[in-house]
Amino acid sequence: MHSELAVDAYNLRKVYNTTRGLLRRIRQEVVAVKDISFSVRRGELFGLVGPNGAGKTTTVKMLSTMLLPTSGTASVLSFDIVKDTKKIRERIGIVLGGERGLYTRVSAIDNLRYFADLYGVPPDVREKRIKQLLMFMGLSERARDRVETYSRGMKQRLHLAKGLINDPELIFMDEPTIGLDPEVARETRKMIKDLSKGGKTVFLTTHYMFEADELCDRVAVIRSGEIVALDTPSELKKYVMDTSVVEVEGFGITEQEVAEFKKIPEVISVSADFAENKQILRIQTPKGSEIISEVQSILRNARIYDLKIKEPTLEDAYLRLVAS
Amino acid sequence: MLLWFADPQWVIPNIIAPFIFTIAALILSRTVSGSYTWYAILGGAMMGMWGNTLYASGFAIEAERWWGTIEYTFATPSSLLHIIGGRSISNALMGLTNMLAILAIALIGFQTPLAVANFPGFILALVITILSVSALGLIFASAFVLTRQASVLTNGLELPLYIVSGSMFPIALLPFWTHPVALSLAPTWGIEAMRYASSQVQLGLTFWSDLGVMTLMSVAYVFIATILFRKVETRARMQGTMALV
Repeated sequence: MHSELAVDAYNLRKVYNTTRGLLRRIRQEVVAVKDISFSVRRGELFGLVGPNGAGKTTTVKMLSTMLLPTSGTASVLSFDIVKDTKKIRERIGIVLGGERGLYTRVSAIDNLRYFADLYGVPPDVREKRIKQLLMFMGLSERARDRVETYSRGMKQRLHLAKGLINDPELIFMDEPTIGLDPEVARETRKMIKDLSKGGKTVFLTTHYMFEADELCDRVAVIRSGEIVALDTPSELKKYVMDTSVVEVEGFGITEQEVAEFKKIPEVISVSADFAENKQILRIQTPKGSEIISEVQSILRNARIYDLKIKEPTLEDAYLRLVAS
Repeated sequence: MLLWFADPQWVIPNIIAPFIFTIAALILSRTVSGSYTWYAILGGAMMGMWGNTLYASGFAIEAERWWGTIEYTFATPSSLLHIIGGRSISNALMGLTNMLAILAIALIGFQTPLAVANFPGFILALVITILSVSALGLIFASAFVLTRQASVLTNGLELPLYIVSGSMFPIALLPFWTHPVALSLAPTWGIEAMRYASSQVQLGLTFWSDLGVMTLMSVAYVFIATILFRKVETRARMQGTMALV
C-alpha cells in the first residue's frame, strides 16, 4: 500500500544498556530517544535539529534500519523498520557525512561499483548511473584516482554519490555539511535542494539552523531524546516573536562574561561564537534595546566592534526551545 | 579483492609466511625417509587458504570499522553472511595461488618429483576443500562481527588449524585427545582426500567418504553460520555496537 507518508514514527524509543566499573559492574540505562512520534511526507525535505547527544543520529539509525528500537513503531515508505528491513534498505540512501565511510585506497568508481553491487543494481544500469553520478558531483575527471588523494569536499560529494547509487526514494543525511568549508558546504546544500526538487524525500539532521531554515520544509527540534517542536521554519520563529536578539561583535569577550549574561533574568538565551580574531554574542531578550547598558557594563573590558538589534532567527527559536 | 591488493601488508602473512614454511619443510623433508613432500606443499597451501579466509572474515571487519564503512555495508539489502561469505571464498581462492607458486618452488627450486596419481580427483578435493575452509571461516566471522577485537581472535585461530588439519604433518603424531577436534574440522578430510588422490590412481571408498564427510560438514557449517549471523545482526542492531572500534 502506497502511503503519502515517507516516514511515520509512533512512540519510538531507544535505550542503550551500558556497564561501568571493572570488578563490580554497575549496569546503566541511557535513554537516547524517548517515545518520539512524527511523520514525514513523501517529497518533503525534513529537518531534525538538536544539540549534541539529543538523539538525532540514533533516530536516523533506527529509521534507516541500522538500529532496532527498544519500543514503539515506525514505517519507512510503508514498510516496518523491524520486520521489512530488506525492503527498506533497497529503497533508501544513507549519507552519514564526515571523513570516514569510504574505501580510500581504491578509486571513486570502485567504491561506487562495490556499493552498487551491494544494493543489487543491475550491471547494465550500474555503469550508466555511476557515470551520471560522477558527472553530477563533478568527480568525472578524478574518478579513477584513489579516494585518499581527494580533498574533503570531493570526499563529501562521493558520499552523496554513494548515497544515491541505488536511486533511492528517501535519503537520510546525518549532518552532511559538518566540517566543510563554506564554499563546499554551499555546494552541498544546493545539491540537497536539487535532490528535493527532483522529487526525492530528504531527511536531514543538522546543527546549523540557517541550513535548516534555508533547506527544510519542516523542522523538528529534538532535545534530550524528545521532540519539543515540529513545524515549518517560519512558524517556529513565532516562538521568539516576542523577543529581540542583541548581537554583539567584539574582541576579548570571555566565557565568564558570557556566563554573566545568563544570570540576567530578562535574558532568555545567550549563544557565543568564539573565533580567533573576534567573538559574536547573540543575546535573546524581550527587552531589546533596554539591555544595552547591561551589555556595555558586563563587556567593559572587551572591545566592542558592533552592536545590533535584530529580528529573531530560527537559531534563536531553537535556542529557546532547547534551553527551556 | 581490490582493497586487499591495495594494502601491501597482505603479502607478509599470505604469501611470504607460507613460502617460508614450505621452503623449510621441503628442506627438512629431504633429510628424512619417506615422502613428506605433499605435507610441505599442502601445509603451505593451507596456510595461504586459512590465513586469507581469516583475514577476509576477521581483520577485514575490523578494518571496515576503522574506515567507517561497516555501517554502510550493514545498511545495504545484501546480508552480512553474503558479503563476508563472498570475501571468504575469494580470499580462500587466493590461497590457491599460493599453492601454485609453492608447486613451482618445489618443482623448479627443489627439483622435487611431484606426481599426482589422479589429477581430476585431486582437483575435485582441492575445490571442495577451499569451499570448506571458507565455510569454516564463516562461523568464526559471526563472532568477529560482535567483538571489537577481531584481529586478536584472528591471530589466535590461525595456528591451531594448521596443526590439527593434518596439512603440515600427520594427525597421528598429535596427542590422542586432539584427534576428535581434528576430525570435526572439514578441511582435515579434504587434506586427506587430496593426499589420497595424489598417491592412488583408483579413487576408492576412502576418497569418496572423505569428500562426502567434508561436504556434509561444510553444509552444516553454512547452516550454523546462517543462524549465527541472523542472531549477530539482531544483537548488533539492538546494542548499536556495529560501528564501535
